[in-house]
Amino acid sequence: MYFWLLSLAFLAALIASAFAGIHEEWWNITYVENANPDGLLERRVIGINGTWPPPPVEVNTTDSLVVHVTNSLDQPTTLHHHGMFFNSTSWMDGAQGVSECGIPPGQQFDYVVPINSSGQWGTYWVHAHASGQYVDGLRAPVVIHPPKEVHTYDEEFTVVLGDWYHDEHAVLLKQFISIANPGGAEPVPDSGLIYFVQNGSYLGPVAGSSPSSVTSAVGFNENATLPFQPGKTYRLRIVNTSAFSAFFFWIDGHDMRIIEVDGTDVEESPIDLISITVAQRYSVLVTARNDTSSNWVIHANMDVDMFDTVPDALNPNITSSITYDSSASLADSTTVDEYHDVDDLSLVPIIKIPQPPATRTIELEVIFDTMDDGTNHAMFNQITYNSPLVPAIFSELSLGPNATNENAYGPLSFVLNHMDVFDIVVKNGDAGKHPFHLHGHKPMIVGRSTDYTSSDPALNPPIAENQPNPIRRDTIQIPSMHSATLRVVADNPGVWFFHCHIEWHLEVGLAIQLIEAPLEAQQHISQVPPVMFDHCKTLNKPFAGNAAGFASTDNLKGLPLGPFPQKLGWHPKGIGAMAGTVLSAVLGMAAVIWYALGGHISEDEIEHEVRTKLDAKAAKGQNSRRFWLFGPRKNIE
Amino acid sequence: MAKNLFSVPIFFIVFRETLEAAIIVSVLLGLSKQIAEADPGIVPVGPQSDTNDSRDDASKVESDVAATTASSEDGPVQRQRLIRKLRWLILGGAGVGLLAAITIGAIFIALWFTKAKDLWAVSEEAWEGSFELVACLMIFVMGVTMLKMDRAKVKWRLKLLKDFEGKTTGGAAKASKWTLFTLPLITVLREGLEAVIFVGGVSLGQPATSIPIAAIVGLICGFACGFLIYAFASRTTLSVFLIVMTNFLLLIGAGLFSKAVGAFQENAYNHLLGMDVDDAGGDGPGSYLVQGNVWHLDCCNPDSKLDGMGWSIFGAIFGWTNNATVGSILAYVFYWLAVIVVLVFMKFKEGRTKILGRQSAAGTRRAARRENVVDHKEEVPVDNNGGDLLPR
Repeated sequence: MYFWLLSLAFLAALIASAFAGIHEEWWNITYVENANPDGLLERRVIGINGTWPPPPVEVNTTDSLVVHVTNSLDQPTTLHHHGMFFNSTSWMDGAQGVSECGIPPGQQFDYVVPINSSGQWGTYWVHAHASGQYVDGLRAPVVIHPPKEVHTYDEEFTVVLGDWYHDEHAVLLKQFISIANPGGAEPVPDSGLIYFVQNGSYLGPVAGSSPSSVTSAVGFNENATLPFQPGKTYRLRIVNTSAFSAFFFWIDGHDMRIIEVDGTDVEESPIDLISITVAQRYSVLVTARNDTSSNWVIHANMDVDMFDTVPDALNPNITSSITYDSSASLADSTTVDEYHDVDDLSLVPIIKIPQPPATRTIELEVIFDTMDDGTNHAMFNQITYNSPLVPAIFSELSLGPNATNENAYGPLSFVLNHMDVFDIVVKNGDAGKHPFHLHGHKPMIVGRSTDYTSSDPALNPPIAENQPNPIRRDTIQIPSMHSATLRVVADNPGVWFFHCHIEWHLEVGLAIQLIEAPLEAQQHISQVPPVMFDHCKTLNKPFAGNAAGFASTDNLKGLPLGPFPQKLGWHPKGIGAMAGTVLSAVLGMAAVIWYALGGHISEDEIEHEVRTKLDAKAAKGQNSRRFWLFGPRKNIE
Repeated sequence: MAKNLFSVPIFFIVFRETLEAAIIVSVLLGLSKQIAEADPGIVPVGPQSDTNDSRDDASKVESDVAATTASSEDGPVQRQRLIRKLRWLILGGAGVGLLAAITIGAIFIALWFTKAKDLWAVSEEAWEGSFELVACLMIFVMGVTMLKMDRAKVKWRLKLLKDFEGKTTGGAAKASKWTLFTLPLITVLREGLEAVIFVGGVSLGQPATSIPIAAIVGLICGFACGFLIYAFASRTTLSVFLIVMTNFLLLIGAGLFSKAVGAFQENAYNHLLGMDVDDAGGDGPGSYLVQGNVWHLDCCNPDSKLDGMGWSIFGAIFGWTNNATVGSILAYVFYWLAVIVVLVFMKFKEGRTKILGRQSAAGTRRAARRENVVDHKEEVPVDNNGGDLLPR
């Protein structure tokens, strides 16, 4: 959101009042038993209205999206519309612990996504932002259509990618955050899924396949196919809904041109291979072949570099197909020589927004380590994030003038003034790649370094100012030892989460919260639906005051903190123990000396006693054992 | 590096066994003097009955000795010659015994490391812990018994004398010359094999390369000390020497016990982590269990080849670890407590100290005898009489 967009949004809002519509969804969030999308194992998943996968959402920019949620789970849940701005209503953002307490079991909530006034279109997605429920299946693509698309094409499909686990997230999380996993090896997916959407509904399985009954309306992987007609140009909107795995995506026999990145239309740019990490989206144009003599394989290979191990049972390379003629055969599958990332800095947004100068920098260094409780956690600047007791948005709204005090929100909270321009510099000191996602904004990527510790400008270039049109996206992949600089305008009062979108990493604290323009945010307090506070009450969570629920800036008693990095070396416990061992050794050696000296026995006495003993022995038997190794000696005589 | 080329425990074991053998041999050497001087009856008088012209140097020497003794009267020169010859006989026996022990030991160790070691090829911490446990128990017994070695001289002298008497009273001349040869042979062989078995037990957890140098150095030191004791030392200096050695041994033993417990815990941790843990270990967060840890340093690892050999020597002698647990600390402390308890009990049992005013049976007997001695001084000469038989 920038000035340009704001004015556009304002304009859109004016127009919207004429065409104003509401796109409503009625989502009853339920468990769905025996879902088996990968054909390998039936498991309980989280779906909508008793079905899985949750229905795809398609909205026009003239409409506001309202999702009426009923929580039929046995735990609190939320919905997060990924990438949406929400225009100063960040309590609709759905991040549990940051923007709400969560919808308690059996309760309802209406998520209002003001698409008609946020000036956003393109490819997004919606997922649970509570307790890793999206890993268990609560995730679906969202496509927002502008009145007129920038690029021209004949038809479009949404390609949904995702990793898939056979165990429920809660079970895996317990194994992940455990003293038995000090290295923090993330649960490795059991399979990958690829499935398609067109015109707001999933494409069914190909004829002749025998899909599992629960998900029989949707085709997955080999059972799914994209019907192509010769000569037509298709837009494929690729969404990675994974918990963990990035994908490498390509189509045999077809070229791709990138036209959209995370909802930002970009100038056409040819690409042979799309590398798409968790929560990212790309749109590509694919022109169909003129011949229908064969059908072609669609590839989505998991980035197994991210996995601690690749189990034998895992097929990381999933495929689907493009069908020109159902009677034609499938062309031979190809491989790629080398994977590579999409150079997103080189992509040029259609809507030009020059880079504003920054007035503030937030530097964040990513480290993972085994903490003082023996479990592995993630840290920004040596601090691991914990959800505050009071969702930060409610602290911001309830603290009055104290709301500008950063300390009130607990660690890893950053207060920003309204319309500040700030840089978030993320330095990835971890050995793995991480996809970072900023809620409520679409930051510009104004610089990347391939080694943030280097003094070589080729590896660690200074940030170029006055770039006319840097790329804007909401989810940024940062490889190991790389850094990226995200420039953000604080034009969206509220509280916005910034975190690694790998669910496992979010769960171990790789997050910060941006407290944006508190005083301006407070002007919108009357818009907060009162039911949100009722939810907090039901869940026994405080919903006013600082992070710990006190009307104070510094009293944070009871706020969950830690675990903390280990402090190795000599501590009182160790010094005491060392002293104890030294003391025991000294006493022991003293005992040796005491034993050897004193109580002297004279040679004569020894002789006498030995003689007595020998005589006693001799008296006992003739065959006295003198040499234990050789037994009784034979008499030589 | 140090750990790979020089095993401190093996050095001490070989050293101790060599020392014991050296003491026995020195006793025998002393006896030879006594045999020649004080008790000529031991050596057979009269024409040689040895008909089978021996195949063996020793028996030839013995025959010569016998012949010499027989043919001439006990002139001091002859006696000196006789003593020298007897000593050569003893040393020859000891040498043959040593050679045999070394040969058997080398074969045993070679077999042990090429064949039996394969059984333990799994480099699991549990094995290491078991080996360290065996080693530390052996060292415990060895260290504690070593303290009695100052009394061993007398004991051995009497034992050997008795053996000798047993043979000679039988009257056969052949027996005596054989005895002078076989006694040191068997003694040295016995100590040597004992050393081999101990070395085998202790070396279970150690690389084969760590044995030879340590064993050879131990052998040399044992010889040297044995000779020094034979040549110069009084019983008191021997005691002091034994105290120092025992303390070294026990320090090693306590360290090994602590390490054994640490290894078992490490093994349990590795199992907790699962199969795909690389055995490299390493230091720092994640390499150890936080729960129950007492100190952990991200350096100074005695098992690390990178941290310098100072730490590995420190580890070998004092049981140093950069990762101490409640278990390993308590193990160290309890080892020493056990040493204290055993030593107190032993000293009590030997009647050399009272516990709560009470004395053991041996103590009571000795006290009674002392009183007796005081009462009848003229009858039983005090001390030193026995010592006369010993080389000074």
